[in-house]
Amino acid sequence: MALLLTVSLVSSLPSDAEAKKVVKIAFIGPLTGGAAGFGLGGRNSADLAIREANKSGKFPYEIKLLPVDDASDPDTGVAGAERACADPDLVAGIGHFNSPVALATIHVYHRYRLPFIVWYAVHPDITYGHKYKEIFRIYQIMSVQMDAIGESLVNKFKYNKWSLIHDLSNLGEIQRKDFMNSFPKKGATVLSVDGVAVGQTDFLPVLTKIKGLNPEGIYYGGVVMEAALIKAQMHKLGMSNVVFASGSGIVTETFNEIAKEPAEGSMGFFMGRPVDKLKGGKEFLAAYKAAGYKEPYEVAGPLAYDAVGIILSALQKVGPDDREALAKTISAIKYEGLLGETTFDERGQTKLTVVSEFVSQDKKWVIWEDSAYAKGQRKLPRR
Amino acid sequence: MMNAVMLGIIYSLIALGFTLYFGVSGVANFSHGDFCMVGPFAILSLSLIAVGLSLFAPPPLLLPILFILGIVVTGLVGIVMERVTVRPFRFSPKTTVLLATLAFGIVVREFVMVAYPKGANPHAFPKLFPDGGFPLGAIVLRFDNLLIVSIGILLIVGVNLLIRHTRVGVSMRAVEQNMDAARMMGIDINRTIGFTFFLGSGLGAAAGILTGEYYGIVRFDMGVIAGLKGFSAAVVGGLGNVYGSIVGGILLGFLESFIAAFVPGGSAYKDIVAFLCLVLFLIFRPMGLLGKKEEKA
Repeated sequence: MALLLTVSLVSSLPSDAEAKKVVKIAFIGPLTGGAAGFGLGGRNSADLAIREANKSGKFPYEIKLLPVDDASDPDTGVAGAERACADPDLVAGIGHFNSPVALATIHVYHRYRLPFIVWYAVHPDITYGHKYKEIFRIYQIMSVQMDAIGESLVNKFKYNKWSLIHDLSNLGEIQRKDFMNSFPKKGATVLSVDGVAVGQTDFLPVLTKIKGLNPEGIYYGGVVMEAALIKAQMHKLGMSNVVFASGSGIVTETFNEIAKEPAEGSMGFFMGRPVDKLKGGKEFLAAYKAAGYKEPYEVAGPLAYDAVGIILSALQKVGPDDREALAKTISAIKYEGLLGETTFDERGQTKLTVVSEFVSQDKKWVIWEDSAYAKGQRKLPRR
Repeated sequence: MMNAVMLGIIYSLIALGFTLYFGVSGVANFSHGDFCMVGPFAILSLSLIAVGLSLFAPPPLLLPILFILGIVVTGLVGIVMERVTVRPFRFSPKTTVLLATLAFGIVVREFVMVAYPKGANPHAFPKLFPDGGFPLGAIVLRFDNLLIVSIGILLIVGVNLLIRHTRVGVSMRAVEQNMDAARMMGIDINRTIGFTFFLGSGLGAAAGILTGEYYGIVRFDMGVIAGLKGFSAAVVGGLGNVYGSIVGGILLGFLESFIAAFVPGGSAYKDIVAFLCLVLFLIFRPMGLLGKKEEKA
């Protein structure tokens, strides 16, 4: 009888695994579609940060990653955000590569008071278009990036005659606006400005027109698929003496995979440094490899890793039970991570402003200082 | 100019498919655009299988083998489509068939998205045509441009010859003119219409393969806009008229290229122009440029 009582008493007690509370951090980003390369690398890097946190023993609860696909589409992003926010175990989230998606979902996070760190989207209104205390961004806004890009392309690389092609999304429009604010001020001449639809595949007519204007460079304001097709079609039209440049949206191996050999000599610009040049970068690379992820981390992986790190650091201070307290802690944080010291301004925007120049070399993105071009072994167009 | 011709040929191939379906069976087949997508994805799938089985062919054989296989596979899908969504509704209202074909197209598109590995992502399409070209005066004629235009013209001429000079072509024309009379003359209606759908789907596949080869990329939803533009071209030229589909396709190709190249900011409006043409023709000349006006009883 006593034995029976003991067995039933012991079996009714919660085990260690059952007692441990589950806390979730969402990664909401493009896991399918043209930007999936970025999204999967970001998801994996966020997952790595969480695995390491669970292994560290610093948290009295189990942390899980909640991956949600926004498919680079605002409607899908909002539906995903609603679904995630309704999860009672969710304490915070990171994500969004595409500005139109982030612009649509931030209101959902605000409604649920969910602290959310936007990981890669660059439209200024994501942080400056409202006064939501829950929204942060670990990546720099487009105008700051474009100023650095203009300085590099016009004053460092001495390309002065430009044609601009931009897509007609919010991202493309903001890139057009920031390009027109930056490049002429640096001394460049803008020969033409053309808008193209997102999803467009045929750029030959507009490139044929641009070829007649004889620019030194074409800047594309948009994302990777269209950029890769433009570069490939520039090659078809014999525009090898025109440099092709774009922002961080093309610094992914998807660009080289789609454009193939014609990608050679393209220039991309990324806010931040490549991970192997960051403090803690080698450890991140080793841990990422050991975790066995199928997809590469891409340049944006460390951003996701640090974004989760920021949330984890805030969780250690205030715990998972109060989303508003968590948001307040994040806003005042000084986080030392892969990117260096991250702090946010009063609107949740990171204050970090380092830009790296990349060049496509042998179908891989190489940071300029390590490239054969910087060493004089290869030449950019017209050099 | 070359781009306009190439676009025109691709639209003509799609429009020719629409014309065949409509001419022979009276069906506006709105899954035709998705057949443009099935062709390239059939090639991608066959390539994966071939690599998995370590089957390789020398490069000069690779192009025709993959091209033909892609067309045949898509043609077979077209036959299935006809059996499932057209034949059962032969005597139903036209809207029923239209909706059935539309639904079939959605099923095919979503199936590819789900079943093909990472189907929702854009995929690089293998380079089947040689790179480079040769100078002709001030311009460079690229090999891939020439091959696309040549293959397109060959297919169009081939279909025309088939319709005019073969037994099956005679059957198709007979069914188009009068199905009952054709049946009484001993023509197998089901087989004729089935073959028409095989042929039309194959043309759509050819258009999709040429598009994928030229732009180097394919997507599971690439057929949606392509199908609508092909339909526009068919209507502009004259739905049911083989020559009309060619004229409509070329016209649309030139119009789009002209707008994108010469109108300031025109690249963003070229799709608007394509569909505006469709609307205007439907209002003012619904029979198209080469179609015959329907005589009211």
